[in-house]
Amino acid sequence: MLLELAQYFAKDVRAFHVFGYITLRAVLACLTALAISFIAGPLVIRKLTAYKIGQSVRDDGPKSHLTKAGTPTMGGALILVSVGITSLLWGDLSNRFLWAVLLVTLGFGAIGWVDDYRKVVEHNPKGLSARKKFLWQSVIGLVAAVYLAFAVSSPSGAKILDLFTAWVGSGLSMTLPAKADLILPFFKHIAYPLGVWGFIVLSYFVIVGTSNAVNLTDGLDGLAIMPAVMIAGALGIFAYVAGNTVYSKYLLLPYIPGAGELTVFCGALAGAGLGFLWFNAYPAEVFMGDVGALAIGAALGTVAVIVRQEIVLLIMGGVFVAETLSVMVQVLYFKWSGGKRIFRMAPLHHHYELSGWKESQVVVRFWIITMMLVLFGLSTLKLR
Amino acid sequence: MSATRQGGNAGAMGETHVRDFGANVTATPIATVRFWIITMMLVLFGLSTLKLR
Repeated sequence: MLLELAQYFAKDVRAFHVFGYITLRAVLACLTALAISFIAGPLVIRKLTAYKIGQSVRDDGPKSHLTKAGTPTMGGALILVSVGITSLLWGDLSNRFLWAVLLVTLGFGAIGWVDDYRKVVEHNPKGLSARKKFLWQSVIGLVAAVYLAFAVSSPSGAKILDLFTAWVGSGLSMTLPAKADLILPFFKHIAYPLGVWGFIVLSYFVIVGTSNAVNLTDGLDGLAIMPAVMIAGALGIFAYVAGNTVYSKYLLLPYIPGAGELTVFCGALAGAGLGFLWFNAYPAEVFMGDVGALAIGAALGTVAVIVRQEIVLLIMGGVFVAETLSVMVQVLYFKWSGGKRIFRMAPLHHHYELSGWKESQVVVRFWIITMMLVLFGLSTLKLR
Repeated sequence: MSATRQGGNAGAMGETHVRDFGANVTATPIATVRFWIITMMLVLFGLSTLKLR
C-alpha cells in the first residue's frame, strides 16, 4: 500500500524511490510490526483477561506449570494482526507469493482460533477434534502446495494458469522446470527433480509438518517464538537471494521471480514475533495459543517451499524437529514396550525441566541451539 | 525522582535494569529479554541507516 503511494510520489520527489528497495521495506516492516505489537499488546492482554480467556494447564505436566493456569492465551492473534497489517502496508500487493503466504498463515491461524476458542471460551476440553484439525490443515496445505507448484515454476503470476492447464492437458504427466527441484544443501550440482506430484506431496508435508512442530514446541514461555523469529530472519535472506537475478546466479540458487518480496513478509513476522516475545518472555503475560503457533509454523513452511529451501528449514528448525521427534518416539516406544518411557516427559522441553533445568534455562539454551543451526543453515548459501 | 531524594543510595541501584526492573516488579528473565529486544530494535534501526541517507 505504502509502496504504491511512494511510487506515486516518486514521480515528483525522487527521494521516494528509496521505498522501492526490498531490504529497506523489510527493515521498516520489522519495526512497524514491533510498534504495532507494543501498542496493541497491553490492550489485547487486558481484553483477553477481561473475557477470562485463560490457559488451562495439563495436570499431568510438570508441577511448576500449575501456576501458569489462567494466563491469557490466544495472544497469537496479536501476531497475525501485526503481520497482516504490516505486510499489506509495506508489501507489493501485486505479488503472488505475498498473498499466498498471507492466506496460508491466516488460514492456519483460523484453525487454531477455532480450536482455542472452543477450549478456552466454550470450555470444551477437546476443542477442535484432532481429526477435524488435521483435515482442515490438509485442505489448506494441499491447496497451497498445488498453487505453489505452478507459481514457483512460472516466470509471472499471469503464466500460472497456463502452466496448470498444460499439466492437465498432458494427462498430469508434465514435469516442472529445474527451479522447482529439491535442493540439497552443500552440493552445487545435485538437485532432486520432484515433478508436480513430488512437489505437491513434499510441500504439503513441509507446511503442515512445520505448523504442527511449532505448535508442539510452544510449551514454555518464549520457547517457540524466538526460534521462529530467527528462522524468519534467515528465510528472509534466502528469499532476497532467490528473488534477485544477480545474487541467485552468483550463489548458484534457483531464481524465483517475485520471491524477494517475501523478505518484507519475513521482516514483518520477525518484528511481530519480537513484539510478542516482549509479553511472552518468562514469566509470560500472555500465551500465543494454537492461533499463533499453527499460523507461524505454516508461514515458515510456505516461505521455505517458495524459496526452495525445505532441507535448510529442517536444519534451522532443528529444535522444532527434535521436539516433534521426541513426542513420536515417546509414544511409539510407550506402546511397543508396554508402558516404558524414553524421556521423562515429552515434548523434549519437559524432559529437561524434569531433569532439573529451570524453565528459563531450557528456553535460552534452545534459543542458542537455534542460533547455531540458523547460522549453519545460512552457511549453505556459500558452502556448496 | 532519584533514589537520593528518597533517601536511598543512588549508586547501589544505579543501573536501569536493577532500578527499574530487577528490584521492582518485573522478574529478571523478562527484564533481560526485553533489553535484548530493545537492542535488536536499535541494531535494525542502525542497519536501516545503510540505505536511509
